[in-house]
Amino acid sequence: MIPLFPRKKELRVRQAILRGVYEENLRIIGRKRVALDRPRPFFLKKLFLSLMLTLIAVLIHGNRLTSSSVPELAGFSLLPSKTLHQPAQDPAAPADYKTLISNPDYPVSRIFGLGIKTIMIDPGHGGSDSGTSGKMGTKEKDITLDIAQRLKARLEKHGRFTVLLTRDRDVAVPLNRRVEMAIANKADLFISIHLNYLPAKPINIIETYYFGPTTDEKALKLAEQENAGSQYGPSDFKKIIANIGDTLKLQESRTFASSIQKTLYQNIRREVGNVYDFGVKRAPFVVLLGVNVPSVLAEVSCLSNREEEMKLHTESHRENISHYLEAGIFDYINKGEARYEPSRLAEKR
Amino acid sequence: MSQADSQKKGDILFVGIDLGTSRSSISASNGTREWTESFVGWPKDFISQKILGKAVLFGADALEHRLSLDLCRPLEHGVIKEGIEKSEDAVKEIIRHLIDLAKPASGQKIHAVVGVPADTLKVNKLAIRRAVTEFVQSLLVVSEPFAVAYSLDLLNNALVIDIGAGTTDFCIMHGTIPSEEDQKTILAAGDYIDDQLYSYLAEKYPNSRFNKNMVRQFKEEFSFVREIPGDMQVEIPVGGKPVMHDIKNEVKRACESILPAIVETTTEMIARFDPEFQIKIKNNIVLAGGGSLIRGLREYLQDSLKEYGPCRVTSVEDPLFAGSDGALKLALDMPSKYWEQL
Repeated sequence: MIPLFPRKKELRVRQAILRGVYEENLRIIGRKRVALDRPRPFFLKKLFLSLMLTLIAVLIHGNRLTSSSVPELAGFSLLPSKTLHQPAQDPAAPADYKTLISNPDYPVSRIFGLGIKTIMIDPGHGGSDSGTSGKMGTKEKDITLDIAQRLKARLEKHGRFTVLLTRDRDVAVPLNRRVEMAIANKADLFISIHLNYLPAKPINIIETYYFGPTTDEKALKLAEQENAGSQYGPSDFKKIIANIGDTLKLQESRTFASSIQKTLYQNIRREVGNVYDFGVKRAPFVVLLGVNVPSVLAEVSCLSNREEEMKLHTESHRENISHYLEAGIFDYINKGEARYEPSRLAEKR
Repeated sequence: MSQADSQKKGDILFVGIDLGTSRSSISASNGTREWTESFVGWPKDFISQKILGKAVLFGADALEHRLSLDLCRPLEHGVIKEGIEKSEDAVKEIIRHLIDLAKPASGQKIHAVVGVPADTLKVNKLAIRRAVTEFVQSLLVVSEPFAVAYSLDLLNNALVIDIGAGTTDFCIMHGTIPSEEDQKTILAAGDYIDDQLYSYLAEKYPNSRFNKNMVRQFKEEFSFVREIPGDMQVEIPVGGKPVMHDIKNEVKRACESILPAIVETTTEMIARFDPEFQIKIKNNIVLAGGGSLIRGLREYLQDSLKEYGPCRVTSVEDPLFAGSDGALKLALDMPSKYWEQL
């Protein structure tokens, strides 16, 4: 007897596969919008964030009461978030620190003769944590890894630094592990690369964060998303937060964030035109919390913007972003000395 | 008009292209099957161009004249190694060259399915489409291991392990187009073996003069795991004089260096599935890519997996064309309404 039904089943499978190939390619060229993001368990993250912020507030308050001789903690007062390239001034810092830190010609790292030897680049997300996804199916984890690898190659060409990645392939690395890697390798700079997603606005934005409390709702929401992979428990937080009263780190991170934001925004605006500057902000990102050296989280692009998602598929655009990040790092390192400016775009299109 | 009618009239040439890290191949509906090494070289200057007499060289030709060329291997590790400006152009040149080799008739439309390494597909989808679009009227891009699975009719309960040059891609088929979770890529592949073999030989024969290209040729000629009878002697110059060298142990060590990662990833991929399907998948594992030609590899993998239960591993008959044949099969099976909209 001829096995009619198995044959029919196989045909159905084959048709489904062919349709799948076709739909996948439609997504690539952006002809059909398919929502790929799965809803996140919002209440869990909200709970996690609330717990974290409460801890920060309690510890800061506690330290203020018990240790007036620790001026560094004043930097964590709940000031409104800054949205300018200029680093925010710290009104409660003592006059000598204030003078020292506010003088753009004398970054603290130079005053103390601190050279940058090791740079840790953190490509956001990875493995089962895809981060955000564009409408064409582009995943944040793939783009951040690609840009990070390009940035690493660029920095290594200078022969001055040891450049490390928190992940070099598509693998899930918990946020606390990323922090541990930076500490274990004695990183002097830490930059975490991410992509933004604004569901309500089809615009392209660039913004750069350093660690600190914020009253900005959007910054809190973003921190909540990016912190989702943390494996820290509340007791870990307590220990880490106790160590963050470090003016050097705070001020240097601000300056570093300012350099990255300025270089990224100015050059991307020159390259693509239609981009908004959302500036330098503070937010309680876990990945920046435990790293006790200048550390920033750069949202280098915006996947919710269709044109930007298409551009991110061109190697030239990803290479240019890595070029601007490289320029931002050198802008920070060379403060007061020769500025490093991107001399050319990787490829004009 | 149905696809069969189009073919009969010869209006459309359907092609399947396997854009590999090391070798690229094309299979066409007119019966042509051709391949080239995935190297592209442009003359470094006016003098080089005059001597070589060509604006661009491919494959073995490019490798032979590499000293006079800006050489590019555009899909190394799924990312671009040689320089951003060249890479997309290099992909374009390879496609142009392959389509020329397929000899389409004048005015004939080309509908292509292109298979690329799974990692390349993640971030270079549009770049690859752009590189190919210039030469074809309609195009679909798929991952290489999926194209291999399709060529072998392994649509359900099967695992394809495509051991290429830059990467080893794993793809589980379970009756639908594989999602990202069904595919995994590791860097334990041909280039990794080359690097290991180069360092082992450099350590054993510090006075001998050899390069990465020679080492790659040694691997392709002698690669094996476990034990095989006979010597492996190659000629390498020492102080300008050709001297025979025994490389058997080094070839074995280098080839075996990729085995732990492949076995580990295979078990990890299978373990994700329901136990009932695990048994079916374990009995339907297929090795593809140039790495499947390593002698003893299939048997090694089969024996390693037997401790997890019965297991059957086979190899594709023609690893060079398995990807492009699968891509062609996809092209021929694809309903014409889908082509029209792409």
